[in-house]
This record gives sequence, structure tokens and C-alpha cells, in this order.
Amino acid sequence: MPGCESPMQYKDEDRMNCRQLLSIFIVSLLLVTACGKPTPPPTDPGPKGNGSGGGSNANSSGDVDTSNDKVETDGGEKLVLPGDGLKVLRLPMVTDGPKSVDPVRGSTQYENKACAQIYETLLQYKYMVRPLKLEPLLLEEMPKISDDQKTYSFKLKKGVLFHDDPCFADGKGREMVAEDVFYSWKRMADDSISKNWWLLEDTIVGFDEYYKEQNDAETFDYTAPVSGMRVINDHEFEVELNAPISRFLYIIAMFQTSVVPREAVEKYGEKFTRHPVGTGPYTMKEEGWITSKSMVMNRNPNYRDEFYPVEHMTSDKLAGMEKPAGAKLPICDRIEFTYYVEDQPMWLKFRNREIDYTTVPAELLPEAFIKRSKKLRKGYIAEGIVAHKIPLLDFIFIGFNMEDELVGGDSDKAKYLRQAISLAMNWDERNNDFYNGINVVYDGPIPPQLDGHPTNHKAPKSYRGPDLTRSRELLAKAGFPEGKGLPKLDYYVSKGGNSAEQAEMLERQLGAVGITINKNLVDFSTLIDAVNNKKAQVFSFAWGSDYPDGENNLALFYGPNESPGSNHFNYKNAEYDKLYEQIRTMQPSPERTEIYIKMRDIVIEDTPYLGSMARTRYYLVNPRLKNFKPHEVFSNWVKYLDVDESKSKP
Amino acid sequence: MFLTQTFARIPWAYTVRRLVYNIPVYMGVILLVMGCLRMHDPIYSYLGKNATEQQYEKFAEKSGLDQPFVYQYFSFLGKIVTFNFVDDPSWDKPGESVGELISKSIGPSLAITIPALCLTSLISIVVGLLSAFNRGNLFDKSLVVTAVLGMSVSFLVYIIFGQYFGAFVPKQHFGYDIFSVSGYEPMFPHFPTSFADIQYAINTWCYYCMLPVMISVIVAMGYDSRFYRAVMVEETGKDYITTAKAKGASQAKIMFVHMLMNAMIPIITRIMTTVPFLITGSLLLEVFFGIPGMGRQLILAIGAKDFPVIQAYTAVLAAAFIVSNVLTDVLYAIVDPRVTLR
Repeated sequence: MPGCESPMQYKDEDRMNCRQLLSIFIVSLLLVTACGKPTPPPTDPGPKGNGSGGGSNANSSGDVDTSNDKVETDGGEKLVLPGDGLKVLRLPMVTDGPKSVDPVRGSTQYENKACAQIYETLLQYKYMVRPLKLEPLLLEEMPKISDDQKTYSFKLKKGVLFHDDPCFADGKGREMVAEDVFYSWKRMADDSISKNWWLLEDTIVGFDEYYKEQNDAETFDYTAPVSGMRVINDHEFEVELNAPISRFLYIIAMFQTSVVPREAVEKYGEKFTRHPVGTGPYTMKEEGWITSKSMVMNRNPNYRDEFYPVEHMTSDKLAGMEKPAGAKLPICDRIEFTYYVEDQPMWLKFRNREIDYTTVPAELLPEAFIKRSKKLRKGYIAEGIVAHKIPLLDFIFIGFNMEDELVGGDSDKAKYLRQAISLAMNWDERNNDFYNGINVVYDGPIPPQLDGHPTNHKAPKSYRGPDLTRSRELLAKAGFPEGKGLPKLDYYVSKGGNSAEQAEMLERQLGAVGITINKNLVDFSTLIDAVNNKKAQVFSFAWGSDYPDGENNLALFYGPNESPGSNHFNYKNAEYDKLYEQIRTMQPSPERTEIYIKMRDIVIEDTPYLGSMARTRYYLVNPRLKNFKPHEVFSNWVKYLDVDESKSKP
Repeated sequence: MFLTQTFARIPWAYTVRRLVYNIPVYMGVILLVMGCLRMHDPIYSYLGKNATEQQYEKFAEKSGLDQPFVYQYFSFLGKIVTFNFVDDPSWDKPGESVGELISKSIGPSLAITIPALCLTSLISIVVGLLSAFNRGNLFDKSLVVTAVLGMSVSFLVYIIFGQYFGAFVPKQHFGYDIFSVSGYEPMFPHFPTSFADIQYAINTWCYYCMLPVMISVIVAMGYDSRFYRAVMVEETGKDYITTAKAKGASQAKIMFVHMLMNAMIPIITRIMTTVPFLITGSLLLEVFFGIPGMGRQLILAIGAKDFPVIQAYTAVLAAAFIVSNVLTDVLYAIVDPRVTLR
């Protein structure tokens, strides 16, 4: 029974308690002294690189200025740095991680970033050249295009090997051949695994029929022929298109069209999504990918002779980007991608130089940049941190359902109403208040940097507000003077972020001319449903370009693409549709740009949307990282990056 | 000696009987869970409205949801009994099975939650005891005020400040890399065979897990200390305390032996109610500290409508609840001989 022992016992036990307390103290002390970064246990160091590279990205202001850029092709000084240690890139991914590294299942930029290091496409974008230009990657040369621009002849590079993997005889990666390209593209047609059929739909002769037949069949036959896909020999093949579709070249530079070996797909089945076997500069083992945490990729020891490019812009020379020209790729031995869902840990890790670069979250922009000039603050420049400003190919807008009885239709009254709403809205205020003024507000649907984008972001005839006087005039012409008699507009927007606050601002701006709105903050899936079912009268949306061609955005207003297709506006204009069919088969040229401008102005006049805005992404780069010039349309630029270990510590 | 005594006190027959009685309860829970999860067609939710009938049928066949419910029920029970979810692929993460997801994420979660629970309980009990024994004086009042203050601050604030002042500032300004801002490394990358491996495990745990554990302890301490104080205050007025004092027992002996032993029932109840949640992890800590644990996986699965993962997680959680209930009764018998279980 407790409480019945003799007093003598207490003294002994008290001494015992003292000893126990002392032991606890010593153990605690041991635990505290154990704190500190652990030395990693021995792992496979992966193959070592040549350690070549060099250059510095910083100019005196700490910003990378790309104005007045011109392409230069002189090689510049080549540096070869000695180094026995592994060169490790420590890169962030602002996500919970890709879901798959099988190219045909990928759709997000994170899947693009993971796949682009392991797999390769026929074409790639030139690393340092802006505006973006394509060049061969797995091809020996750019494809030869027939006079009618329907037949493309391809010649593959010789000696391109797949990664060593047990799926091959003796575990040695075999040479990639023309059949692999067609096999990989046919996987895109397999609905049971692919999300990306739309990329090749209505493009290659016989491919649509193949898609239908195989998806209807019991088992998908990858060996069944497609009349528009012709193998000439192991390294040469032809593709015949339904029409001279100019976007085809961009499509074959997209990561979803990467080349995969059939042996690996068949051996690993579903596991192929986590066990990639490609031809790219890096390899990844299954255990290198920890779900929701990180991905580790190692240099591909069998990577063919590919070299750091010579072609660069004038601004690249100022930043020393041209110096590693001729260095063998990939420059670094290992990539460690770490996922970050929250901004704070990524930011603190960047400031401690534990990751090599970071994107700057909106709330931290004032900490890193001077608000008015958007220049990097002196403290950051002194630390050797460099800022990169990357304008995204974005089209952020508020759309009208053109089939709606009130705001839709091609009558003059409806058009005046849409124009009046557009003139009442102030995109600049939205940009300044919610995005620190870093985004680009512009006229038309074509984002900055692309053919057809208006000079200084302003089209000759514009209905972009704020111009309340004109708005009131047009509102009166529409039959609603001072908004009298105008019912509340049903506005749909996806909830989350600062959507509610943005909707409040829109309500106030439109309220100034007497237009009222009924705000519907809904889940993204509900928004999509409402738009696809043509139920949303007015809706807030964004479109990120799939490839750097205005055609991608102009397709959003092409009549046959109406909802549930990409023409969410359900906009129909016979003249516009005819012009779109014309540009779809035209190669880039001043004539095509003229038509883009004409189409842009037709859309501006009809005003099926309020807009537009494009985001700007700010990157900060620690001095350890070199040769950094990112772009968000393509992601295989990691192979060009280098690190300077002497600048690893803060 | 202590172990032998404890072992002898375990009511084995009762434990086995309770476990057996709970089998139909668990089967009922699983039936209910499976029924509820199928109320809204999971395939339709996952594929979306634009999926064709053919895609729907193929998916149903692939996932086994085209089978009769009774078949699905017993097949799922079979998987639970053998703990074999290896053939159950995750819908949202192709190539990864539910079993792999659970086995990979349970370790990181437990590396945080078990030490956090142990430390929180230990410290809170001590604080509760001291506070109760010094009831009404300045020491007690300041402990109560501190506990209330601690409870009033949001968990998120502790995390943000903890990361900043606990990990970032020491490294950035003083060069001490004590804790990682975020990240996680397994403590045992391979089976430990030497002292160096153990040392590496302790080192790794301290670097990656100690800060989130400390934050978790600070947050929970306010609530727990107040609870344990209330329990101990009730005990201080009992006769056996007066008897112990009269017999000359020291204050430490009275607090840590007599009072503690008598207050074990509510303490065990409190601790055991949190035990099932050890496996669910802490979502906020896992997200901010980049820990690939169960909480994060479950939220991701719910967001992605990953039906097999949600179903398996719910089944595991239900099992944890039942086991913890049985364990609670057994512990009552061990700590208090007056409790007899029949």
C-alpha cells in the first residue's frame, strides 16, 4: 500500500532519486551535444563529372538586365575548374512533389522539371537565346520539312544510349532508335495511362484512327501501324501531318513527347512511373525519390558528348554566362530537389545558403527589393545574391459567357455593355495592391514576348480601364444609364489565396459606374464545371501558354473550341475563325504576325473578356550557383548549371 | 524485479478476451467505413464528370470496385489481417502502393509524435504536481498564467518563430547549425550494426526532429499542465497524503511516489486517448518542416480523392483506437491493484 513505508527507506530512496536525476541530466546533455548537422551515412557517390564551368552571374546592380539583348555566338574564355568532390545542385520545388516521372502521365511544371533531367525530346529550346528558339536535342539536325509543309523528315543522333538498367540485356543501356520515338508517341494515345493525347490529336495522318481503335480494343497494341509514322531505318523516320500544322515543332519539344524504352515500360509496368529509364543527363533510382520530400538524381555516366552552348545574348556576357562554352554536359554530378509547400522554410533555407535559388513569394518581395525601383536591396547585392526577373507567358482574365442572354451575343448593345464593364475595371490597381506591381497588364490575349503582343502593352484601340467617363457613355448606349435596370452580374471565381479580396475590389470598381455583381467563390472544380457547362455568366480564369507562340492563346477564341473545349467564352466570329484556320498552318513570318494583330484587335473590339495580366516570377540566386538563366516553358536547363563550393557558406 | 512484477500484473485472460470481443466491433467499423466511403461514387469523384463510360468501366475493373460489396469487404478484411496493402495501388500516385505509402510515412510521423507525447506528458505531470503542491502561491499562479498564455498563442506562430529563432538565426548570425530549418532524414538508413550507427541515428534525430518536437511540446504543455494540475489538486486533499506527511515522507516522495501512483488512472486515460493520433502525425509540423509523414499523406490523399489510401488509413486508425482502448484497461490493472478485470 502506498504511504506505509518506514522513514529510513526515504533517505535511501532520496539518494537513489539524486542518482537517477544525475543520469537524466547526463543523457540530456548528450542529446544536446548531439545536435548539429549529421554527417551523412556512406552512399553511392554517383559518377563524377569533369568539373568544368565558370563565370559569375552578377553584375554590379545584382540584377540580370536583359534589355537590348542580342544574340552572340563567339565562344569566349573557357574555364576548366579542377575538383575532386561531387558537385551537387540543391534546388527547390514549390510543391508536394510530382506524382509521376512517366512523361505521358505528366502535366504540371513540377513533372516537367523532374522528367526533363531524365528524359529527352527530339528538340529543345536554346538555353540562353531570347525570344525562345528551338534546336535539335536527340536529332542530328532540325527536321526537313517538305514544300507542302506536311511531311517532316527526322534524322536521329547516333550513339544515344538509354540509361543502364536491368530491363536491358546485361543491364547496359541500348542505343535509342526511330521505333522508340513512335512507341513513345503511341503511349500518348493510350487513355489508360496518358493525360496528353490532346497534344497530338488531329495532327498526324492516321493517328486519330489509331487512337480510337486501340482505346476501344481489349488490349492496346503499340505495334499496330499508323500511316503517318514511317520508319526509314534505325536513325531516320518521317512523319506526315494532316495539315501543315506549325505548332508541331513546339509539341515535339514538350517533355510529354520524351523518348522512353519499351523494355523498361514492359518490365516495370505501373512502377515505371517511379523507375525512369531515359536518355537524359541524369538518372534516378527508385529509392532516390522520397514521396513528399525530395528527389535525388545522379549524373548519367553514359551521357553522350553534349556541350555547353556558345550562342548567347549580350547580357549573358556581362553576367559571365558565356564562359563555360564547350564544357561537357551535365556540369554537376548530382541534383537534389527538395519540395517546399510553405514559403518560409524555403526562404530561410535560401538565406542560409542551403538551397541554391528561390522564387520570391509576393509577401517577401518588399524584403528583397526596393518597392519603387524593383531593384535588389544593397544587403543582398553585397552577399553576392543575384535577381532574375522572368516574365511568364500568362493570360489572366475575367471572361464573359458569350451565350449568356445579358452579356453575351454579338448585338451592339451587348458589346457596349461588355466594353463598359471592361472600361470600369482597373487592372493596374489589382496589380499594385495584390502583386506589388510586378505583373504586366496588357491589351489582347497574347502575352508579352510573343508575336502579336502590342507595343508597350497597349493596343491602338483599347477598352482596358479605368476610364469611367467612357464606361458610363457605353453603359448608357447599352440601355443601362448609370447601371439602372442592369441586373446583378453572376461572377464566378475560384476561392483561395486572395480571391475574396480581389472580388471585393472588382465589386467596388464596377460599382463606381453602377454595375453590381453577385460574387460566387467556389472550388476550382466547381468553377471548371460552371464554365464547361456554360453556366458561369462572368468568370475569373488564367491560361499559361503551352509553347511560346501566340497561336496557343488565339485558339482560345476559335469557335469550334467552345466549352468544354478551351474556348470558355463560347466566342464565335466567322471572320476570326477563318483567320485562325489560316495561321494554324503558317510558319512564323511578318505576314502571320499581321494576322495575329488583326485577330487580337477583333477580340479586343468584341470584348469577350476583361484583361489582361501576365505574372512575373522573381528568382534570387545564391552566389554558389552559376550559369543560371531559367525559363518556365522548358526545364532541362539544370544540365547547364554549375556550383562554386567556395561560396557555400553565408 | 520490477518487470517481473509488472508482467505478473497483466491480466492476460482479460486482454485476450477483450481483443477477441473487439473483432466483431472492428469488423462493424470497417463495414461502416467502407459503406460511407462508397456513398458518393469514388471513381466518379476521382475521374471527374468528363470521363467516358469506357474509362469509368476500365477504372472500376482495374481498382476492383466493379466487384460485389461483400467480396470487396472480405477482400479488404483479408488485407487488414495480413497487413498486406502492397497490391493496392494508390490512385493518385501511380506506381506506389498503399502499403508502401503507409510504411514509408509512419516512421517520420512516429519520430516526432512519440518523443513529443513522452516529453509533454513527463514535463506536464511534473509541472502539474509542483503546481498542485504549491497551490495558491506565486509559483502556482505564475505556472497557471504561463500555461494560459502558451495555450493562447497559435501553433503556427510557434512554428514560424521556432524555425526562425531556433534554426535560422543561430546559423545565419552565429554560425551554429544546431537544427535544420526543415527536412528529414531516416535515422536508420540501414540496420544498425555499430555504435557509430546509433550515434548517427541520435545525431540525425536531434538535427531534424528535435525542433519540431520542442514546438509540439511547448504547444501541448499548456493544456496538459492545467489538466494534470487539476488532477493533482484533487489528490492533495486525500487522507493518504496526510498520513505520508505524518510519517515524515519528504515532499519529493509524496509528490512523485504517492500522489503520482494514485493519480495514474486519469493520467493513463489522458495519454491513451492521444495514442491513436500518434500515427496520424501532425499536419502543420509535417508541412512546415518538410517531414514526409502520415498527416501530410492523408491530407494529400483526401485532396486528390485517393480512395484506397483514405480507406486504408481509416482502417488503420480504427484499429489503433481499439488497441489503445484495450491497452488502457490493461494499464489500469497494472498501475492500480485495486482494479480487477474480469
